[in-house]
Amino acid sequence: MAGWEFVFGRPWCLWLLGALVALWLMSYRSLAGLGRWRRLAALLLRSLVFLALVLALAEIQFRQSSPKLTVIYLLDQSESIPAAKRAAMVDYVVREVAAHRHAQRGDRAGVIVFGREPLVEVPPLADDIPLLGQIETGRHLRRDATDLAAALKMAQASFPQDSAKRIVLISDGNENIGNARMVGALLADQGIGVDVIPIEIGAAREVAVEKLVLPSNLRQGQPLELRVVLDNFGDQPAAGTLTIKRRIGTSESLLSESQVTVRPGKNVFTVREPRIDITGVFTYSATFTPTSSEEDRILANNTAQGFSYVRGKGRALLIEDWSHRGEFDFLVNRLRSNEIEVDVMGSDELYTSLAELQQYDVVILANCPRTSGESADKITNFSDEQIAMLVQNVEHLGCGLVVLGGPQSYGAGGWSNTELEKALPVDCQIRNAKVNAVGALAMVMHASEIPEGNYWQKVVAVEALKALGPMDYCGVIEWSNFGGEKWLWGGQQGMLPVGPNRRMMLSRIDRMTPGDMPDFAPGLQMALLSLKKTNAAMKHMIVISDGDPTPPSSSLLQGFVQAGIPISTVAVAAHGPAEQAVLQNIAMITGGNFYSVTNPRALPKIFQREARRVAKPVIFERENIPVQVVMDHSSHGLTGASVPPISGFVLTTVKDNPLVEVPIRADAPQPSENTALLATWTYGLGRVAAWTSDAGNRWAASWTGWDQYDRFFTQLVRWAMRPSDTGGKFDVTTEYRDGKVRVVVTALSSEDRFLNLDRLTASVLTPDAQSSSLELQQVSPGRYVGEFTAEAAGNYFVTILTGAEEIEENGRKQLRMRAPILSGVTVPYSSEYNDRQTNRALLEFLAQLKPKGGEPGLLVEPALEPGQTSVLLQKYDSFRATLAPAVSIHDMWPWMLMVASVLFLVDVAVRRVHPDFGWVRRMANRWGWAKSRAEERTEELKQRLDRLRATKQAAEQQLDDRRRAVRYAPDLGGAEEPPPEFPEVERAAPPPAQPSATPRTAQESYTERLLKAKQQARRQLPRKDGS
Amino acid sequence: MAGCVARHRNRPIVERVWGTFGTGRGQFRKPRAVAIDPEDRLYIVDTTARIQVFDRDGRYLRGWSTPESAYGNPSGLGWDREGNLLVADTHYSRVLVYRRTGHLLEDRTLGGSTGAAPGQFHFVTDAVQDAAGNYYVAEYGNIDRIQKLSPEGHFLCQWGTNGDAPGQFNRPNSLALDASGHLWVADASNHRIQVFDTSEEPPRLVLVWGAEGSGPGQLRYPYDVWPAEDGIVYVAEFGNHRIQKFTREGEPLAVAGGPGREPGQFYQPWGLAVDSEGAIHVMDTYNHRVQRIRF
Repeated sequence: MAGWEFVFGRPWCLWLLGALVALWLMSYRSLAGLGRWRRLAALLLRSLVFLALVLALAEIQFRQSSPKLTVIYLLDQSESIPAAKRAAMVDYVVREVAAHRHAQRGDRAGVIVFGREPLVEVPPLADDIPLLGQIETGRHLRRDATDLAAALKMAQASFPQDSAKRIVLISDGNENIGNARMVGALLADQGIGVDVIPIEIGAAREVAVEKLVLPSNLRQGQPLELRVVLDNFGDQPAAGTLTIKRRIGTSESLLSESQVTVRPGKNVFTVREPRIDITGVFTYSATFTPTSSEEDRILANNTAQGFSYVRGKGRALLIEDWSHRGEFDFLVNRLRSNEIEVDVMGSDELYTSLAELQQYDVVILANCPRTSGESADKITNFSDEQIAMLVQNVEHLGCGLVVLGGPQSYGAGGWSNTELEKALPVDCQIRNAKVNAVGALAMVMHASEIPEGNYWQKVVAVEALKALGPMDYCGVIEWSNFGGEKWLWGGQQGMLPVGPNRRMMLSRIDRMTPGDMPDFAPGLQMALLSLKKTNAAMKHMIVISDGDPTPPSSSLLQGFVQAGIPISTVAVAAHGPAEQAVLQNIAMITGGNFYSVTNPRALPKIFQREARRVAKPVIFERENIPVQVVMDHSSHGLTGASVPPISGFVLTTVKDNPLVEVPIRADAPQPSENTALLATWTYGLGRVAAWTSDAGNRWAASWTGWDQYDRFFTQLVRWAMRPSDTGGKFDVTTEYRDGKVRVVVTALSSEDRFLNLDRLTASVLTPDAQSSSLELQQVSPGRYVGEFTAEAAGNYFVTILTGAEEIEENGRKQLRMRAPILSGVTVPYSSEYNDRQTNRALLEFLAQLKPKGGEPGLLVEPALEPGQTSVLLQKYDSFRATLAPAVSIHDMWPWMLMVASVLFLVDVAVRRVHPDFGWVRRMANRWGWAKSRAEERTEELKQRLDRLRATKQAAEQQLDDRRRAVRYAPDLGGAEEPPPEFPEVERAAPPPAQPSATPRTAQESYTERLLKAKQQARRQLPRKDGS
Repeated sequence: MAGCVARHRNRPIVERVWGTFGTGRGQFRKPRAVAIDPEDRLYIVDTTARIQVFDRDGRYLRGWSTPESAYGNPSGLGWDREGNLLVADTHYSRVLVYRRTGHLLEDRTLGGSTGAAPGQFHFVTDAVQDAAGNYYVAEYGNIDRIQKLSPEGHFLCQWGTNGDAPGQFNRPNSLALDASGHLWVADASNHRIQVFDTSEEPPRLVLVWGAEGSGPGQLRYPYDVWPAEDGIVYVAEFGNHRIQKFTREGEPLAVAGGPGREPGQFYQPWGLAVDSEGAIHVMDTYNHRVQRIRF
């Protein structure tokens, strides 16, 4: 039962209450003049004021204890626990709460699930746990590690204050992050009990592929030896198949497959590749498949990976637009004939990991748009991740990048505002108003009906905006929920240049909430008027809708046709064919594209592609554009040559950076800052070249017959390639242990002396393409060591920068950059799969902790098993009352002070204030309920006044009669007492007599004398009182 | 009184506000159309394709769903002369006929084929049946028109095309028959009301009123019209978030509501119905609720 009491922080102050007696004695006499009741009231009030002050001084507190109990269940959902047991936890908790929670006591129950981090599945509520079927937060939970300590801390923070607190931990106890023992001790100190229900995992047999060992660097033509380490944790041999696969680029082949018997303990199997003739990165995987599932409990730890770099003369990857295949065949053949290995990749079969790019020394992006394809299901694009990989491959791994131009490249290819643009020596956007390269894009947003429609509308609007250059115009029309069709910015005009307004536009897009547009016509009409007024070379419109607004009239659509503005329509998947017909019709009449989208994830690609239509003005085409070779030393072989003209290129803006060189320019148009044909720079560790014309298929057609063609493009590609000479002997070893990778570099010069470098740094790329830098410390001559955390399974690429060396060339000493060393390590699987048995020691420690004021927790037996939760329910009750009840304490002294202040004012009022209750009567009169009584009183007063007036008149008459009858004799003494027969009437004092300038004369009038006598009499009156 | 300016009070007397957002019983996701039976029971369809039946105080009685809704949801409700519920299954180009209990009379389904030919429909918005048993079905999309069908569902005649001339339509969103047999059409995207005399074939246009705007008497996307028995006409305006009261000839009498989420305010109302006591039940669509008002 709940209880409450008052306690005191300084109880000795209560002795001051003895002074109450003295207070009564002193006050009783001094308050004698107040009358009986007011004196008693004043005494009482003074006593209360004094009492409140004493209680405040004694720090009075209100203490309440609660019988409630809150139980939070911590469910270990990490991979080390089989899925069936993880599901059984949920089932058990639901049943346990339903069976044992004391609803009338106000008990609460909550659930926290945890793996690498904890997540609150059900907050502590005074209710049963809802039957979820599966864990709601499961898809967000990372299960590849166990952080028990974090889960305990989250439970501690989740408890309400007004109840006793118990944690029920259901786990195998195998933590690999944090320290649960330390947190457990803190919990006990705070009175939080911990019960433990163990999960047994050690009974089954287990085989794991521990690692795949192979050299990280090889020369072309060398043999390769792979060693697979298998670990059998059982006590009996396990039979199965060991499969080793080799993957280079996107092609995978089987290297070996053999039946093996894995003895208890560690086993090593060796496989050889006699000779490797292809250069690049080889990724190998070794997989053990048990003959019987009983021989191996966890299959997730049955595969290990490793990779090896095989270096050759140089290898290039050329990526071309899949919808224009073969466009660069001529260039590819010329490069191959000049001993450069070239692989061609279509933009519809792009790389998916950084490992795929590692085998190449240079990547050539050949007239490749960011997005290509004509319909929603065929449209493909470079994802943000793929662009990031391309850039990181250059910046952190030193690979070269050559971008070749064409009508679908640079700004015309939708590469504006992308990560790739940052890596280029030129910007894809034109910032010069003199160049007529302005496009205008209007968008109508009506996709509110699809799931997460508002989110997707924002995404597509941002994607479209990204594709526009600073000189382009953009406008968005939405159905404002309370205001009808309106432009998102720009007032009535709606179309604004992107450059100065980009930030504002992004902000408005972020805030927009388009509603259900009833009619296309007003929005399209607004767009048509504004687009007509916009001074742009290319105008375009995109409508995204479910298609059920009223279709626009044919006359309105003809207006778009006449203005040369195509409308592309995007039908989102809210409705059926009927709506699609409406949108299809709009696109067909106006010459736009129609897309039918069933998956909203396709929308950004579509908008990227459509927004690219307004970027066409960045293409400059004209016959015989002269080519200027501006710089001799880096023009890649054109020095002194007569360069044929070209017929077009893509306008760009050279980056304002001293590292950028522009060796070749076009001679038109003006100004020259947008006419770079070749621009180069070094971006991070890699070299980047931007060629803005094509390689001979359209604009540089006259180049294909030119005798310098091979020389120019071969040298351009070779210049960009990753250097291969390390200028010394660098031996790199990498080792993964306890979640960390240790990198050891031994550096020798070409004369076999230890290299003592100023600094040795490395760049690390994680499996999820995140990069970080690593500083290697010198620990002995020529030996450098660094370490980084590797939490996730997968390939970690380590690129070690070895700095510059001094070389002597043509008799002159100069610095030359050494080639970076490529290495790496593969983390085969999560450390969760290393856990073979339950960590009983930790679980027992947590259960034995004695919470403050309560009893120690329980280690519940038997362990939780699927289908046997009923046994546990009978034996164990997590809502048992063995913990100290929660106590809440509230300070009361501020309230006491407030009470004393108020009572003191009342005390003063009782003694000093005579209350006038006449207002009650007046209020009553005003409200009319005592109206008749008031009228009676008014009449009575009137009559009384009349009587008084009559009496007064009679008295005055009598006085006058006497004055007339009696002769006045000045007798000052007689003025001291008025005649007894007249009542003394208080009159207003006459105004003080002004000092007269006239001397007193003997002939004073009667009235003057009478007045003077009266004044004299009044002056003498006080003396008569003796005061 | 001299010197005083009569103020146009927009806030109606709100008798009841009910319904919350959701898919449970008595909850709505954008209630769009309403029909009311002689016992003042409200039949309401929302964008979950559920038809829910309530008493006039909003107490849930029963409910059912249309057979398909993947393409979209019904947006109009009406009655046939037998008291069966006509459901304009907009995105399936058909009119479904239900008993009041929710039993589907499949053999009475009108249309079902998308197209512009006679007897085919595109986006069906509303359907009614006159005393003689003829159906009138409104549609927009390919062609904005009203088709008249025989009691057996055979095509009789059609009128209207897309346009803003009198007799043309731009999304005829709602139909209502008055006691004199006149067909009232909420010509939504033309922001007007049109009235046809159905005693002639094709029906003759007898009244057109309304112009786009937000002032009293003006209209902005009128989505529903209700000619009451006392000669008063109520119009629900999707675009102006309000209900207006007119004379039969289109003279404005009063305005109720305005944009907002408070009781007495509306958020893109789609439909209304007047019960036997003269109270107006408004589908406050984007507030996911129903308001019973008087003004």
